[in-house]
Amino acid sequence: MNTDRNLLFGGILMIALIITPIDGRSQDIPDSINLDSLVQYYEMVNFDHAKHVGLSKDCAVCHHHTTGTAVESAICIRCHKNSGANAVVSCRGCHAARPFSAETINANRQNPLTYHKDKVGLRGAYHQSCRGCHVQYGAPTGCQDCHSRKKEGDALYDAAKYVRKLR
Amino acid sequence: MKKLKAQDAKIIDSLYKVPGKNKWSLKEKLLLGLTPRQYVSQALRNPLNWLFAIIFAIGLPILAGRFFFGLSWVTESSYDYPWGLFLGFGLFTMVPLSSSGFQLGTAVEIFGRHDLEPIERLALLNGLLGYFFAVCFLLADLGQPWRLPYPMLFSFGPAAVLFLVAWHVAIYLSVQIAEVSESFFEWIGFSMGKRAIRNITLGLTIAGIILSTLHQGALGALFTYAPGKVHPLWYSASYQWLNFFVSSMPAGLCMVIVVSSIVSKTMAWRYDENFIKNLDQLTITLARGAAMCLATYFTIKLISLAHDNKWEYLVSGWGVWYIFEMGAGVLLPLLLFTSAIKNNKVGMIRVTALITIFGVVLNRLNTALITFNWKMAERFTPHWREVVITVTIFTIYIVVYRFILYRLPILYRWKTADENALVPFTE
Amino acid sequence: MKRRDFLKACTICGAAASLGFSRQAWGVSFEGYPDRMGVLVDLTRCIGCRSCEAACNKEQQLSAPALPFDDLSVFENKRRPTEWAYTVVNRYETKKEGVPVYRKVQCNHCNEPACLTSCLVNAYTKTKEGAVIYNPKVCIGCRACMVACPFSIPGYSYSSAFNPVVKKCIFCYDTRLKYGKPPACVEICPQEVLTFGRLNDLIKVGHERIRQIPGKYIDHIYGEKEMGGTGWIYLSGVPFDQIGFDTTLGNEPIISNVKEFLAFIPMVLAIWPALFSGLHLLSNNGKDHDNSIPHQEGAEP
Repeated sequence: MNTDRNLLFGGILMIALIITPIDGRSQDIPDSINLDSLVQYYEMVNFDHAKHVGLSKDCAVCHHHTTGTAVESAICIRCHKNSGANAVVSCRGCHAARPFSAETINANRQNPLTYHKDKVGLRGAYHQSCRGCHVQYGAPTGCQDCHSRKKEGDALYDAAKYVRKLR
Repeated sequence: MKKLKAQDAKIIDSLYKVPGKNKWSLKEKLLLGLTPRQYVSQALRNPLNWLFAIIFAIGLPILAGRFFFGLSWVTESSYDYPWGLFLGFGLFTMVPLSSSGFQLGTAVEIFGRHDLEPIERLALLNGLLGYFFAVCFLLADLGQPWRLPYPMLFSFGPAAVLFLVAWHVAIYLSVQIAEVSESFFEWIGFSMGKRAIRNITLGLTIAGIILSTLHQGALGALFTYAPGKVHPLWYSASYQWLNFFVSSMPAGLCMVIVVSSIVSKTMAWRYDENFIKNLDQLTITLARGAAMCLATYFTIKLISLAHDNKWEYLVSGWGVWYIFEMGAGVLLPLLLFTSAIKNNKVGMIRVTALITIFGVVLNRLNTALITFNWKMAERFTPHWREVVITVTIFTIYIVVYRFILYRLPILYRWKTADENALVPFTE
Repeated sequence: MKRRDFLKACTICGAAASLGFSRQAWGVSFEGYPDRMGVLVDLTRCIGCRSCEAACNKEQQLSAPALPFDDLSVFENKRRPTEWAYTVVNRYETKKEGVPVYRKVQCNHCNEPACLTSCLVNAYTKTKEGAVIYNPKVCIGCRACMVACPFSIPGYSYSSAFNPVVKKCIFCYDTRLKYGKPPACVEICPQEVLTFGRLNDLIKVGHERIRQIPGKYIDHIYGEKEMGGTGWIYLSGVPFDQIGFDTTLGNEPIISNVKEFLAFIPMVLAIWPALFSGLHLLSNNGKDHDNSIPHQEGAEP
């Protein structure tokens, strides 16, 4: 009968819609991300993105407005009231890995159209954002809680096996 | 020496053993005309020499060690108190005490006060030795003393006050050596040298007063580099250099009074009639000068307080210490001098001179060490080896002073074949 | 002394005095090398991890520390830069929510450094990149720079017997700044407490940060004006005097205190000869210093 077919199609459609989140992020949201662009003294961070998505619920907590969520900060709203999603969403997409190289500084200075002259670099962005939130919510804040130290790191800090003859 | 004099030993006081015939040799002059045995026995009899021997036994090895093991061995290696006793006492204190050179030189040669001549040479010697040993203290303090000539020859920082101090002390030492060399040339019989010096004495004296004004002041100006570190009562933004310059004057004059007093009591065999006869009057004259300088100094310190409105600091712990320094070190000697001069009390003048020296020494130590970093909790404490070395170098200074006074015609007039005793030794 | 000699002396001294050239006319001032670099230190971000101390130690090849750099017990005492540590971090407990504030201490690379102006052998140089660097080859070890520095920064290698020299932060000039790279401490800081850039830009950045987040910062950039302006400038969330900064320093560089005396020097050199020659002439009633006239003996005071 027609009613049975409609019901079937409706049911399939409903189930499809339910299991397909409507905001379309699902295809692009990674479950875990390897933060490895700054590896030198510490191992790379295997970041559990899915967990943090579940904890924060609002992407703007970390990604500003770039994922298309509504802007709430009074400062940002002045320009980004109607800014939608950005092509670039990842941290390292906007925050420079080497913010104080001559190239970055000069480019920043010379471009008259840049508003965000005081944009923090990638390492600073990770730590201020991640650790800052961890401090607020009682999550781990020690250096090695997030990334264990490599041999080079031990040598840097004159710690562990690499301690030189101490004065 | 008293014993020897009683035995009628002939202490050298002239160029010729027998007038017109043979001269004393250098060795004989060094031994004062005594036999080596006589000389050594008089030295051993002097208890002061035993004290010096003990000081040298302990101090000389430590002084040598300073150069082998570095400053960390003899100082507290403090970053907050980079200047310790070597500079605080050796330089900042000994330099004002040696200001007698330019003062007496100027009084005699520029202002024509030839009545001061009997004590002029002592004042010049006092000046020379004080500066010379100030430089010795500096060499002990500098991180790399072998580089002392650098600001003279290789690398100039002319905007620095220390640059001026370095150059001036170097030139002034030369001036003083020239001035004292007059008596040295007499002693070794080089009359041409003596005449040459006399010809340029006026120029030397003017050079002396220029250089002294500036570097006595410059040592004060050094503390304007650290305005927050010296306590406000001891610091004056506008007058620091002037305070140091004016306070150097009573210090130098009183050093001459004190040294001449010591000499008058302990070296009776050495000075002559001309010296001892005039000494009391000269002491009073010097005291007059010192009193005027003290009065001026007290006034300018009051002006310095008023100029920067520092009165409120007087009611603190440091304020009490300041009042003590000004009271006991400036006002008290001023009053004592005034009374003593009026009543011709030479003994009181001598004691007061000692108090004045104490006052100036205290002022320099306060500015450089004691009130330095007054806002910090940690106070300056010298390393024990630093104290030992300071005492040792000061003892060497005393020994050299005595060595020269024993020999050169400072306290007595040198007799030569073609002069008799009554002609004054200035030509 | 003859009148001719007196006049000759005056002329020579006058000529000597006029040789001094005047560098500064009224209304002219040097604002510093325009492209000098600086560092903005945002103390609201510092977490006291001491990575900057570690990085400096490695970059400047300093000797091993007494305790590893991740040992936080060092914060129990207030430290200062020494011959073995060009930078240190101190911890301060403040009233603000019981959260400790950390402060990084190092040479501030002043615009008119006191160390430079006090050095008699010109051992210090303020480079056009903004670093205040030191030449150990001419230093005689007088340590006047340690006395002069209002921030008490320079250390001295007292432990060396034969080559003791001043030790302080040099802004990584030899290894990095010269080549357009940021200093080691800036590069390693995980919280980006240290922002490197042209000093003039950083001052603007600092004021903008204060403006953007009202209440987060004290409305003052320490070092913008203090002691004539420094190359390393600070932002803080708590009053500066609570975290070890000397707020009584004033805005004049140290040289301003000394200038009065320095200006007086050539005048003494020029005037004293004539003054005292003249006094001498006056006291002798104009007669030459004639050796044949016997001098008065003793007595009249």
